[in-house]
Amino acid sequence: MRVANLSFRYGRRDPWVLSGVELNLGGGDVVEITGINGTGKSTLLRLLAGLLRPVRGVIEDRPAVVGYAPERFPAGQPFTVAAYLRHMAAVRRVDPRSVGEWAERLGMDHLLDRRLPDLSKGSAHKVGLAQALLCRPGLLVLDEPFAGLDTATRAELPRVIGEVAAGGGIVVVSDHQGDLRALPGRRRHEVRDGAVREVPVVEEPPDDLLDAAEPATVLEVRVAASKAADLAERLRAEGHDVRTVRTAVGR
Amino acid sequence: MIALVRFRLAAYARSHRAVQPLIGLLPLLAILYATPVPPGAELGAAADSAAILVPVFAWAARGLLDSEPDEQRMISRTAVGRSEVAGGLLAAGAYDLVLAAVAMTTLVLRLSAAPGPAVLAAGACLHLLSVIAGVALGALTSRPIIASPAVSSMTLILGYLVMLLISMSGIRWLGVPLLTWMRDAHHGVLLAGLPLLTVQSLLWPALGLAVYARLRLTRP
Repeated sequence: MRVANLSFRYGRRDPWVLSGVELNLGGGDVVEITGINGTGKSTLLRLLAGLLRPVRGVIEDRPAVVGYAPERFPAGQPFTVAAYLRHMAAVRRVDPRSVGEWAERLGMDHLLDRRLPDLSKGSAHKVGLAQALLCRPGLLVLDEPFAGLDTATRAELPRVIGEVAAGGGIVVVSDHQGDLRALPGRRRHEVRDGAVREVPVVEEPPDDLLDAAEPATVLEVRVAASKAADLAERLRAEGHDVRTVRTAVGR
Repeated sequence: MIALVRFRLAAYARSHRAVQPLIGLLPLLAILYATPVPPGAELGAAADSAAILVPVFAWAARGLLDSEPDEQRMISRTAVGRSEVAGGLLAAGAYDLVLAAVAMTTLVLRLSAAPGPAVLAAGACLHLLSVIAGVALGALTSRPIIASPAVSSMTLILGYLVMLLISMSGIRWLGVPLLTWMRDAHHGVLLAGLPLLTVQSLLWPALGLAVYARLRLTRP
């Protein structure tokens, strides 16, 4: 899949969200899209998924089967989890038995009879992931897939992504949480000021090997809340393990 | 695409929003058929019903299209591609046909004399044209095209009024000739001119649906 000279803005009088983007994505690629809030990550994902048309430039050779999980799954729909996923399986023309398989894998088989509006944010997010994975996509686009997930599913999702890639699929993920760090071989692209540039990924050793390689130091950094996400992104881009510890209420 | 149509109809029905256009339809039918339709006035009554129900069909079509959250529409789009647009229009048309069937059934129940098959077929044809016009108007005022609910509602009503005004004027070919349906039916000349009237009545809705499909390319 090739993105050539892609530029996009929402209206003629609006500023360009993305400009002159070039990307080459091959089968088996896992691409992490990073960038601070409001830089156009979701717009880029929608363009890649075929939901938006480039104002300039082209996107060529998009795989025929696209799975897309939005940042916010629309949980206000009048279905149970099982009924919704069965409908999606029918729309995708896939075996409805795969609903149960994915529900079990994502740890939500006990929620199948629950109504979508009654789900917690994390559970609704799992439904969004399940519908994207039902179709065994050639291109899997996940917008902030780790947000609100429980620990077990956070650990499982990189394995799922790895399997899609191992099957020849392209996976594009926007990730603020840094949960893809366990996945080797991923590429990282940063969206900043309308441009998309590839940044090197420093493979981080698993936590249990970190001490053996080199002693780690835990730094406590106090930063203005408005700049925290930007700083965290930059530190992650350099390969550091970043976790938000707390947000201070006052001085 | 049939599965997508079924999904959207199920979502619309389960959300109970499908009841809203019925609330508009039933009082209109009660007014139209407060007294039994006398013999010989069957086609005129059918034409009146078809012309008056265009905004109800548009309201139902818009309601069905708008009942799907924006993110779900994107999910559907990645699932079926551009057929998503056609799927929405078909679902809206299917629900409008149910409303049209209710209107036709009420008409038949209120007739004083049994109508001939030609009159029934012409009445059904006029309701079908009304459904198509309603789906086009509803689609063009749906959320992807007009984001504001208030502006959308006003546009829907104004669109219908403009349709009526144009059909009263000498340039009735510039819109769906609703008043021509009614006048020709009451004057007993509708059946003879129905083929030409059908073409005229399909022209603008077809253009409206094409514009909707075109706009949806950039408004997922």
